[in-house]
Amino acid sequence: MTFPLRSLAAVALAAAAFLCTAAGAGGNDAAQRGAALAEARGCGGCHGERGHSPTPNVPSLAGQPPEAIVLNMILFREGLRDAPPMPDLARDLTDRQIEDLAAFYASLPPGPPEDRGAPDPARMREGALLAERLNCGVCHLPDYRGQNQVPRIAGQREDYLLLSLRGYRDGTRRGTDTNMNAVVYGLSDAQLAALAHYLAQQGER
Amino acid sequence: MIRRSLAFGLAVALAASGVAWAQQQQQQPPPAWAQGRPPEMANSRLAPHPPRLTVTPPEQVPVAALRVPAGFRVELWAHGIPGARMMTLGQNGTVFVGTRVIGRVYAVTDEGGQRRVRTIAERLNQPNGVAFRDGSLYVIAINRVLRYDGIEGRLDDPGTPVELTAAFNLPPDEHHGWKFAAFSPDGRLTMNIGVPCNICEFDRDRYGLIVSFRPDGSDRRIEAKGIRNSVGFDWHPVTRELWATNNGRDWAGNDVPPDTLHRIRRPGEDHGFPFCVGDWNDPAVPRRNCSEFVQPAASLGPHVAALGMRFYTGAMFPEQYRNQIFIARRGSWNREQLIGYDVVVARLDAQGNVTGIEPFLTGLLDQANDRFLGRPVDVLQLRDGSLLVSDEQNGAIYRISRAQ
Repeated sequence: MTFPLRSLAAVALAAAAFLCTAAGAGGNDAAQRGAALAEARGCGGCHGERGHSPTPNVPSLAGQPPEAIVLNMILFREGLRDAPPMPDLARDLTDRQIEDLAAFYASLPPGPPEDRGAPDPARMREGALLAERLNCGVCHLPDYRGQNQVPRIAGQREDYLLLSLRGYRDGTRRGTDTNMNAVVYGLSDAQLAALAHYLAQQGER
Repeated sequence: MIRRSLAFGLAVALAASGVAWAQQQQQQPPPAWAQGRPPEMANSRLAPHPPRLTVTPPEQVPVAALRVPAGFRVELWAHGIPGARMMTLGQNGTVFVGTRVIGRVYAVTDEGGQRRVRTIAERLNQPNGVAFRDGSLYVIAINRVLRYDGIEGRLDDPGTPVELTAAFNLPPDEHHGWKFAAFSPDGRLTMNIGVPCNICEFDRDRYGLIVSFRPDGSDRRIEAKGIRNSVGFDWHPVTRELWATNNGRDWAGNDVPPDTLHRIRRPGEDHGFPFCVGDWNDPAVPRRNCSEFVQPAASLGPHVAALGMRFYTGAMFPEQYRNQIFIARRGSWNREQLIGYDVVVARLDAQGNVTGIEPFLTGLLDQANDRFLGRPVDVLQLRDGSLLVSDEQNGAIYRISRAQ
């Protein structure tokens, strides 16, 4: 399996931009190691150089809680979550490398993908009602930025959100526990689509 | 250091509060941990603590915080074992360790005074139960039973296990579906079958049990019923009676019901779940006369998660510990103030009455800041009489010995 390699110029730009933010954060050795590893592994080829995914069905990782990234990478590596090609890509990573990658992506400023469309008023209304009824903002926090192992969903790619919600509903995906499966139990495709649309439109514009 | 989880969870549509829990189950099942939460607690921020699935570097394992009674010492015996939970001892001294979320089984061996950790099985669904008999390791995951023959001679290449899943025919339910397993003195493989809920009515001959089998999975026998979820038991070294810890249910309040210790004198007796814990009637289910049920031998504290327990039979510790029970309390989540996160000793008199519960290993609960440093899950006596304690949160095993 091959992934697009970044051009040297892009590498230099990303590294420079990252070093600026990392220096500001202070004491961020793990994030720096993670940046180098993400570069070497070409993670940005799918997830976006700055963690804003341009790729359908692939999540944005910028600004995710580090625990959320770590736990999912462990699930991939241990063969407990199947989302090709991630299990293969994670197979040889050490715990420390995974924590470094998580620190790197957590340090990047979150934001929507460049190809995000305009909000659709009808689906926004339905999605807002569903998010309220399902109490999404309790675990994911009211602005949906996530916490601990609960991921940021504000401004996530809409197609990825829908893929995830369907996986939880249909029992083909679970986290480190089965809470999300219970939350979306019995929802219709249209309801999941509205929820994904609403959440993808949250966050910075 | 480990922060208390902020409001992990609470995600369920308990906005429909006021609806009886049974109806909620039918309409839209809440996450298992939130079942039975009363409407007045719908805004509670209590939620299970996140697991840690990566290696804790040894210098970050909080061994310096651990406290044991005068005359004992505690050391870091093994580390780099993410998710370490239940332990069992092989005949050549290998310590086998089960896990939940990370899906692995480990083997820890002592090589020239250093511990070596191998992962001998992986990709299993909560392989919490490990038991050893006649050279074979039995691994019990949810709805799966595997036997690794001659395991201590092939730790580097365990090979394909014998699949015993069909013979045991365990329920597939995930919630409380992880097992504690051990062989009884007469060679029966014994395990819990927890209830698939927090509090509910259920088939009381199928769930809420401790059951035993012949090692091939035949001849299932109910050892105890009405036990919500026992993740630790052992047989009294003299009387051969089975004793078991049990986890009380959540969301009934900060101080009720307690986790309990059960003495199982006769196979098949009813210990009361979901109706009673001691003389406490659970208000969520129809009222029953609690005198119908076997009373617990002791209360172990509300929400403490009393798990692994072993009778002490060694010669290393003072005589006063012989035939007493060491109990690991993993620590609470469903309580406003943290409680547990320690190992206690249940004191028994000559008649087998519990005369007290005493602290033994402490220091992992930082009460001043309401946070915890580690989560003890199981205890295991080594042949030299020292006591191992597994810490799931730090992927570590401590060893407690008599100070020289």
